[in-house]
Amino acid sequence: MSLEQPRPTDVGETADGGVDYDELEALLGETALGRESHVNAEAFVVRPDEVQAALSALREDAGFDYCSSVTAQQYEDRFESIYHLKKYDDPTQEVGVVVPTPTEAPKSETGEPVYRTAEWHEREAYDLVGIEYEGHPDMRRILLPETWQGHPLGLDYNPEKPQVVPFREHANPLQPDTRGEGAESDTMFINIGPHHPATHGVLHVKTVLDGEQIADVEPDIGYLHRCEEQMCQQSTYRHQIMPYPDRWDYVSAGILNEWAYARAAEDLADIDVPEYAQVIRTMSAELCRIASHMLALGTFALDVFGDFTAVFQYAFRDREVVQNILEDLTGQRLMFNYLRLGGVAWDLPEPREEFFEKIRDFLDGLPEKTTEYHNLITANEIFQVRCVDTGELPPEVAKQYGATGPVARGSGVDFDLRRDDPYGYYEELDWDVVTEDGCDNYSRVLVRMQEVEESAKIIEQCVDLLEDWPEDDREIQSNVPRTLKPDADTEVYRGVEAAKGELGIYMRSDGTDKPARFKIRSPCFCNLHTLREMTEGEYIPDLVASLGSLDIVLGEVDR
Amino acid sequence: MASALAALQGAPLPDRIVELLPFGSGPLGTAIAALLGAAIVGSLMMTMTAVAGPWAKRKVTAAFTDRYAVNRLGPFGIVIIVADAVRLLSKELIVPEGADRPAWDLAPVVLAFSALLGFAVIPMGSGIHLADPEVGLVYVFAIASIASLGLVMAGYASNNKFSMLGGLRAVAQNLAYEIPLILIAVSVVLFAGSLQMSEIVAAQAEPLVDLGVVAIPAWYAFVNPFAFVLFIIANLMEVGRNPFDIPEAPTEIVAGYQTEYSSVYFVLIYLGEFLHIFLGGAVIATLFLGGPAGPGPASIGIVWFVAKIWAVYLFTQWARSALPRLRIDQLIEIGWKGMLVLSLANLVLTAIIVGVIA
Amino acid sequence: MIGMLKSMATTMKHALDGEKFTVQYPEETPDVSPRFRGVHKFSQERCIWCRQCEKVCPNDTIQIVTDDMRNGEQYNLHIGQCIYCRLCEEVCPVDAILLTQNFEFTGDTKDDLAYNKEQLKNVPWYKDIDPLASREPDREGWVGEGDGEVDYQ
Repeated sequence: MSLEQPRPTDVGETADGGVDYDELEALLGETALGRESHVNAEAFVVRPDEVQAALSALREDAGFDYCSSVTAQQYEDRFESIYHLKKYDDPTQEVGVVVPTPTEAPKSETGEPVYRTAEWHEREAYDLVGIEYEGHPDMRRILLPETWQGHPLGLDYNPEKPQVVPFREHANPLQPDTRGEGAESDTMFINIGPHHPATHGVLHVKTVLDGEQIADVEPDIGYLHRCEEQMCQQSTYRHQIMPYPDRWDYVSAGILNEWAYARAAEDLADIDVPEYAQVIRTMSAELCRIASHMLALGTFALDVFGDFTAVFQYAFRDREVVQNILEDLTGQRLMFNYLRLGGVAWDLPEPREEFFEKIRDFLDGLPEKTTEYHNLITANEIFQVRCVDTGELPPEVAKQYGATGPVARGSGVDFDLRRDDPYGYYEELDWDVVTEDGCDNYSRVLVRMQEVEESAKIIEQCVDLLEDWPEDDREIQSNVPRTLKPDADTEVYRGVEAAKGELGIYMRSDGTDKPARFKIRSPCFCNLHTLREMTEGEYIPDLVASLGSLDIVLGEVDR
Repeated sequence: MASALAALQGAPLPDRIVELLPFGSGPLGTAIAALLGAAIVGSLMMTMTAVAGPWAKRKVTAAFTDRYAVNRLGPFGIVIIVADAVRLLSKELIVPEGADRPAWDLAPVVLAFSALLGFAVIPMGSGIHLADPEVGLVYVFAIASIASLGLVMAGYASNNKFSMLGGLRAVAQNLAYEIPLILIAVSVVLFAGSLQMSEIVAAQAEPLVDLGVVAIPAWYAFVNPFAFVLFIIANLMEVGRNPFDIPEAPTEIVAGYQTEYSSVYFVLIYLGEFLHIFLGGAVIATLFLGGPAGPGPASIGIVWFVAKIWAVYLFTQWARSALPRLRIDQLIEIGWKGMLVLSLANLVLTAIIVGVIA
Repeated sequence: MIGMLKSMATTMKHALDGEKFTVQYPEETPDVSPRFRGVHKFSQERCIWCRQCEKVCPNDTIQIVTDDMRNGEQYNLHIGQCIYCRLCEEVCPVDAILLTQNFEFTGDTKDDLAYNKEQLKNVPWYKDIDPLASREPDREGWVGEGDGEVDYQ
């Protein structure tokens, strides 16, 4: 008699791990008004006042515990919000929930009680597109200033109209601050940032302190908002969008971001990528990941060690080597613009042996550098005292907030799109996903350091493959028309494992050569949302350390 | 012992200057001689600070981080000191509105001068010794503690929440570390038998172990290395250097108590910090490293003394490059639970040893 | 304690071994890779005024003025606004616009950096390296070598 209970399959899950949409439709019953077909999944149309019912049915019974993104857009005749749902255990099982709302009164029920991550996504939808969510705990703008007029991604927005944005709240900084619980409270309100040596960019954290302990934390983002989504909506698929993803996570993760766009566009327009190009893409993406994690390590050490001490400089020195390799390959050190739809821009530099030798020298020097980092950081008792048991993020909370990447893996959530939703050449290579169970800052640092070693393994295998690749089979780009016009009304949502987590892109085409809607699901945006859970009750130095361990890049948070 | 004592208690500097002046040893002559002596010591210390701040700190940090540091202005980049001075002094002095004026202006002065005043009783060798009261050690610690007052003044009077946090942290830190510091110094006093600085130095002049070729003198660092290590750590905490630079933690509270200071006041605070490091180094050198003692004649004692101070400074830079910063509550925990207990144990141990030997 | 001592030993090792990673610019100019994307160089002899570069530029940095007989009059490229993505070089069918490896350029105001035809022609090669000669021919993707069918890349 077996003591193991077989895991009950979720409603709608077929025996081989696919999704049975008819079963899901049956589960939703009357809530599902219709069905749409996107390139990545099917979606159910629900009424605006039954959103929570649909979402909780899908979450509780069908097991979709990961809300990756909430996309909002405006058509000629309606508004629409789309909830993209996946499962942490198997992200290839996807379903969408489409909520159309009328143009005159775009109100729909909030999804926040079901998925906490929807709170910020819906605020952004309200901010940029104009849909209001009823029952939302905090319905105000998130990226643009509070006094902004109009919604930039709506159809009737006038970009020429001047916007005057007086910062009325802080008109007189010397007036006594009576925020907190009334004038008699013991708490102190302090603004950390946007000008601050530790906030990784322009991030404003509104902190309420009780002595040195933190009573409440509220990140205020939007200082680096460039409306990248609109810029991409005004550029052609084939060429003009490709330089933009480099600028989302601008610290060295350029090729990973470009791959997110390339994957989504290739699925949208049904373009194949030759195998040789896949190997090159994998290798260059993992080089970018190493560079990004080195920088994360360096800046985290900067936050904890204070000032530009040794660890920061060593991490940057090692990152320089990676950037030199990428410069030989792509021509630039930070904004690569290397991938193209259908492959990569050009082949490996000649002479190939020299290039491979450079990479191999770098990989050979890595174990020594990792030991050095281990001696300087993880073995250091003071560092351990600072980072162990601070910034706790339990895995259930991480899943609720849609955290991905090293933040989730540091809490024991075994989720990595390279393995679970494979793309590129990852499936053919031999590597492991690194998770740690500590749930604190220390384990996140450990995850990043070990991921560098895993990336080194991948690169080594790719280099061996590329060296032996037959010379007449080196196709770097498949045939793609110069003006790419995907079929009208096709929608796709695809994600890749970027340096910070799942970077997802939603695109809708309308038959022209420019996207009709381009939505970026940013991993740092969702990870930053967990800051509140991580820091309540802890001290200011812990807040700074947690912020460093989340590894946010404001270019990606604000887009 | 007697000769060493005689050499050191020779005559404090002002008395010797008085003999050189034509005014005689009346009140005017004594006053002028005292001022001149103070000027000499002060200039010596300020020169060392000026070299240590803009130049040596950058060179040492660059060595630890595989970079080149100041190497363009002048030979070895030494002219950077002038460039930095001009640059810092030419900045605008911004006074925050609502700052508590007299306290805000006086805080940098208190910080810098409390360190300078401490140098008055330290025997530096070669006859440079301003005053030699019988309670010299107590005087040094008392004066150095006035710096805490300066930190609080700076933190509170700036009308800035970050400064206030820095000031409060500074108070907590200094309170926690004064006591272990003084307890360890007391254990040295038990060995030497006197609070007078020159007597402490003289008590370390005898050889501890004579290896024929080289005689290891009875420096208290060798006699009681446990106390030496503890004192160095406590001194790091007192001075506010990494890993204990919590009051001015740049990545957490911008610049702590220094946030609102610019131009001249910033220079004073900056120099004051280095002066405190050097004062700590001087106290360590006197208490544990035999003061100006070193091979060669007693007249070049100042060279060895300066070398020892710089060795302590380089050690602080080394610790700064490698060690992360502690959180304030962890720091205070170590202070009250760890260091206090250890320094009390050290004191008891010393008392037993002295009682047994003597 | 051991961990702290190991950390301190590591930094001291770096201090004592004396290796420096810095490049002493401007005495030593760094070697950039052959594919480095620097300032543009324009060749009027080769240009056929097809306007592909102007069309593909994501930034509207290239501004071309032709008369009604499609003779080229002005070719303006604002090298301060350019994002150095190299798309213009990629789409140009005749190699009229190239990105050299030169990163040393200055201007007193932002408008000084709006280069016209003459200035673009006179951009110096970095260390006298002609990039086309040192880069591999990576442009078969764009213009086929004449096998009969035209590649629509």
